[in-house]
Amino acid sequence: MSQAERSHKAAKVLEQLPRKLTRQIVGSLVACVHCGLCTDACHYVLTNPGDPTYAPAYKADRIRKIFKRHIDWTGRFAPWWVGAGSIFTDEDLEELKDISFGKCTNCRRCTINCPMGVDFAVANRMLRGLLVSVGVMPEGVAVVSKDQWEIGNQMGVLKEDYIETLEWLSDELEEEFGDPAARIPIDKPDCDIVYTINPREVKYDPRTISDAARIFYAARERWTMPSDGWDMTNFGLFSGDDALGGIVAHRVYEQVRALRGKKLVMSECGHGYRSTRCEGPNWAGEDIEFEMESSVITMLRYLNEGRIKVDPSKNASSYTFHDSCNNARSCGLYEEPRVLLQMVVGDFREMYPNRAENYCCTGGGGAMSMSEYAPRRLKSAKVKADQLTATGARFVVTSCHNCVDGLTDLIKYYRLDMKVTQLVNLVAQALVVPEK
Amino acid sequence: MSPFLHLAEHRVQEVALAIMAIVYVTRLIWLFRFRRGRDRQPPTGLPRTNRTKGVLYSMAAVAMPWAMESTRTRPGFYAQFVAFHLAVTANIVLSFVIPYGPGLLESTTLVRLLQIVIGAGFVVGVVRIVRRVRDPIVRRISSPDDYFCIALLTAWFAAGVVAAPNSAANGEMHLIVYFLLTAFFLVYVPFSKISHYLYYPFTRYWLGYTLGYRGVFPVESVRNARAGSRS
Repeated sequence: MSQAERSHKAAKVLEQLPRKLTRQIVGSLVACVHCGLCTDACHYVLTNPGDPTYAPAYKADRIRKIFKRHIDWTGRFAPWWVGAGSIFTDEDLEELKDISFGKCTNCRRCTINCPMGVDFAVANRMLRGLLVSVGVMPEGVAVVSKDQWEIGNQMGVLKEDYIETLEWLSDELEEEFGDPAARIPIDKPDCDIVYTINPREVKYDPRTISDAARIFYAARERWTMPSDGWDMTNFGLFSGDDALGGIVAHRVYEQVRALRGKKLVMSECGHGYRSTRCEGPNWAGEDIEFEMESSVITMLRYLNEGRIKVDPSKNASSYTFHDSCNNARSCGLYEEPRVLLQMVVGDFREMYPNRAENYCCTGGGGAMSMSEYAPRRLKSAKVKADQLTATGARFVVTSCHNCVDGLTDLIKYYRLDMKVTQLVNLVAQALVVPEK
Repeated sequence: MSPFLHLAEHRVQEVALAIMAIVYVTRLIWLFRFRRGRDRQPPTGLPRTNRTKGVLYSMAAVAMPWAMESTRTRPGFYAQFVAFHLAVTANIVLSFVIPYGPGLLESTTLVRLLQIVIGAGFVVGVVRIVRRVRDPIVRRISSPDDYFCIALLTAWFAAGVVAAPNSAANGEMHLIVYFLLTAFFLVYVPFSKISHYLYYPFTRYWLGYTLGYRGVFPVESVRNARAGSRS
């Protein structure tokens, strides 16, 4: 097929490809030796052993062949010989969409198992970004991205609803503690902590907000929540859209500056933590002058400093911990949640493999918003279900809202006798609030 | 030594090496013309992790089969990897010893050692060819270059085993074949996937640089875990 016969979208993708490439991505695209050692690292492969199209090296080759054909001169010179190829039709783009969004959660488990150091997840995110730039993406990704662009948070929560939720939570807290100071401060300037959350907490799980407020209250923290820029999640991480990633991160940073906050604390959310703490400054092109911290670290600090007291006997069941891929495999946040968990529960049971080697909850990479791939996702969740079952625990604890949804879904699907909870819930449950 | 063998051992090798060097340099210039991604944010992870440790861990991963699950759970595959790459090294050494230090090959022990190491590489090469053809996933991801590279190296190992004694008592053909194969290998390598060793230091460095800065590398042993984060 000639250049003239290439679809407009395919031509646009090829036009933008060179601008997306960094030295690190190019390294990952040229270094693969097709040894296949990454294969068994992927939960999709483990649950679809007869299907080579789930293998990380195969998936990576869908990008690699285009790169070779258009950028790398070995593929320009002898495309057939090195497996180079191009894209021509919109159907080709749909096939790429199916692979990059539907057969990979960008969990990075293949990356840490590659002897060559090929970072497939980063290359896959680049591919997603190229597809999104021409409108080729799962419907859920389009909807969520639109909400985050237009409304400022990925679940389309209106400012009025957000404020109203904080107000009724504040009413309950004030009544519970019998203290007007127990309310959730909104837009209070010059605080030590500006607390940002996942919109899922406002919409489906406000208990996590009030639990965090209980902990801040018990610690006598000077904290506030912003009325804008409060969503620390970032769908740019999943969609590969760096522009969206940059603007969403900037909104959060901007609020911290406007309120003259000393530290930005993010609630328990793997992709939110990674996006705001690790990737956001790069996407936004900003150097951040204030501290950023996961609420896991904040809670652990309170305990270590004696600012809060807990009674682990209040959490009397058995607990295991699931590492979020974004926290553990991309940000090194895997030890602190364990230490904190063991301070607030009596019966902790380790899951294997764990930390950077843990398996994805299977809801990562935005998979929870892509309903068309739900059957695949749930099939691949067998790996996680087996891991959970082997612990014998009644509760799985995780520091990620995405993982909460992914794990809840697979627990229901595989009929496991287990519940999902977060550290903030357990710490709040174990709190020993001193008499006034 | 016939003039043709002398040509094959010296001038042909020198030209092939020069071509390889030129292509490699060009390739690296090409790679480094792409912009470098950077991390603006402060480091994450435990204080015991940092960029330097991440890079060292990443670069040394090849010698630590326990570091990655993919090698930890496949000791046989890792042993093949070691044998194969030792054979490549030995065969490269042999291609220099024959023309520039033939006296060393008067040692029967050294010759036997080279033959064993290179011969082991040949066996692994055959096993790898069979695996590439039979394993449905590896077959699916293989390009003609993948098959040609493993076949080329396996043939080169066989030639190395025969050439190691550096004896022309029964003719020079085996030495001529060995040196022509070596020359072809040198010229072809930069254009093929065998050039992965050129990229290895960079890909491992970049991965270690990033994941060390972000507290992931060195991957923590489950038993030695401690807390106290800066993130």
